[in-house]
Formats: sequence, structure tokens, C-alpha cells
Amino acid sequence: MAAPAYPAWVTRWVSGQWRNKKRPPVFRPSRPLALADKVANRREQAAEATCITEMSVMMACWKQNDFNDAACAEEIRMFYDCVAKAEEERKNENEDTLSSRGNLPSSKVNKLLKRFPQITRYV
Amino acid sequence: MAAPSAAGLGRRLRAWLPRMVQVRWSRYSPSYLEPEAKKELYEKPLEELTEEEKEKMELKAVQPIKAAPPTLSSSVFNDPMISKFTNMMMKSGNKVLARSLMAQTLEAIKRKQLEKYHKAPENEKETIECNPYVIFHQALKNCQPIIGLSNITKGGKTYQVPVPLKDNRKRFLAMKWLITECRENKHRRTLMPEKLSQELLLAFNNEGPIIKRKHVLHKMAEANRAYAHFRWW
Repeated sequence: MAAPAYPAWVTRWVSGQWRNKKRPPVFRPSRPLALADKVANRREQAAEATCITEMSVMMACWKQNDFNDAACAEEIRMFYDCVAKAEEERKNENEDTLSSRGNLPSSKVNKLLKRFPQITRYV
Repeated sequence: MAAPSAAGLGRRLRAWLPRMVQVRWSRYSPSYLEPEAKKELYEKPLEELTEEEKEKMELKAVQPIKAAPPTLSSSVFNDPMISKFTNMMMKSGNKVLARSLMAQTLEAIKRKQLEKYHKAPENEKETIECNPYVIFHQALKNCQPIIGLSNITKGGKTYQVPVPLKDNRKRFLAMKWLITECRENKHRRTLMPEKLSQELLLAFNNEGPIIKRKHVLHKMAEANRAYAHFRWW
């Protein structure tokens, strides 16, 4: 005779797990299963330094031309442009849009969530 | 209840300690407009004004205007860079002395350049710049550093990190270096206009100790370029 195919509850009953209190987990939540209106406070990661490539190009040019500014005028102009652009972006980003990395700080998320709270009970 | 009393307390404290509390913000309400000193704007007939200028004129009829500072002038001889430099040279509020020194400096520059002009052969006469204002501005521009160093502490150690500078900071550094160089590193008996004119002419030709100081700063920034990633802006 091959291994007899008993239903699963029979095997479990026979092994005595139910009497040893190994019952299936019953979940009794203490609070309603709804998302809270706030996010945990996460420390905002520091942004990266801007204009590093332009700066290194300019410094390489300086090294070649013995720190003569007239010879490196093009690189210096590019560096200034990059710095102006970064400054402009930095000024404009402090609103309710995503940061350069693509994530919102937790304080702003909390403000938005407070405006649209989770409805836990209906009247 | 705590919030309004705290604000009132702050105001009362500020009134009681007028000199010990920082008072750096403007006392004007935001509706106050800046005074306009340029005469050309008022002499233009109505048709030539652009849309925004017309709006500004209409706004001036309604909004109050801030009091004009004593340095604001509509004269053709008024130069903001020269005014700033004179203020930086001034000691204990002696603006009369600082202004006379500035005038003597510009005169000294003009004299030296004229001397060179008259001694030069015919073909070189066009290359010699005689306008002291042009020389002043070009010398300051040559002295401005392009990149600065700032102290950033990371992991307990302070590093000198190369950092781009703002325009105001560059101008300030150039003027400060010029003035300190003239005050400290010269012979005691030479007068300030003499020293300043000498330094300005050297800086105009990209020589001299101030240009050297700028190059030293650039070299240090170049040596520390590995730490550039410690910046977060």
C-alpha cells in the first residue's frame, strides 16, 4: 500500500499539535487597521555638492596654465554659469515640490497628510 | 496664552536692551518702495515707457517710499564700487578723510598714467589706459578670487573645502586684501594714496602682492579639491 493521502487536519490532529496549543495565529488588532496621518521622522540626507565637474575642469586648466586667469577664461565662465544655475535651483526648490533627489522631507509629507486625513468612522 | 505673552515679552526685552539684541532686519513694512535715483527714468516721455515701468510709476503714486540713504546720489560721478571702497577705508566714521584719500588716489593714478603716456612712443600711446576709474574697476576685477575655502567639520576634524563664492563676497575680499596690503606691508612714511595707487596699477597689470595672494588661495583650493564632496550645497 502507498503512503495513504490523509487530509491535512487529520495529520495535524494525530500529531497532537492542537492540544499543545499550536493553533493557527489569530490576529486581534489593538487599533483599527488604518494608515496613520503621519510619517516617521526621518533625518533628511544631505544633498550632494554641485558643480564639481566644472570645478575640477577649471582646476586642471589652472594647473596647466600656472593659475593664469586669462588663459582659463572659458572654464571659469562655465563654472560661474553652473554656480548661478545651482543657486537658482536652490532658491526655487524650497516649495511643495520634490527635492533634487526625488523625495519629500517628512515634515512636508506630514503637512499634506494632515490636510487629507484617513476617515476611520462614518457618521 | 503662552504664545502672545512670549512675543510681548520679546518686544519688551528688545526695547529694554536696545544694544544687546541684534537688530538687523528692516523697520520698513514690505509695502515701502525703494527710492529711484536715476534721472533718465523721469525724463522719459510717457509713450516710451514699457509696461512694467508704467506699472511701477503707478505704484509709486500709491505706495510709500523709503527714505533715501545719504550715499544714494543721481550724480554722474557717483560710483557704487568707489563708495563701497571709501566706506571700507574709513576709520571711526571719518568719511571726509576717506573720501579725500580716495580722490587723491585717483589723482595719483591719473598722474602716473599721464606721465607714462607722455613718455611713451607714438605707437604705444593707445595702449596706455589713463582713466583712473577704468583702472580701479579692472584692478578690482583682477583681484577677485574665483573660488574660496570654507571650514567644514566632519567626523571631528575641520577641513578646508573649496567652495564657490558669491559676487558680494568676491568684491569684499578683493577690497579687503587691497586695503590690508596697503596698511600693513608698506613703509611707515608713505601716504595711503601713494600706496593705493601703486597697488592698483600693479593689480591692473596682473602683478603685485594681492594677485599673488589670490593665486595662493587658488593653489590651496586646488590642493584641497579632494574634499570638495564635503559640501552639501
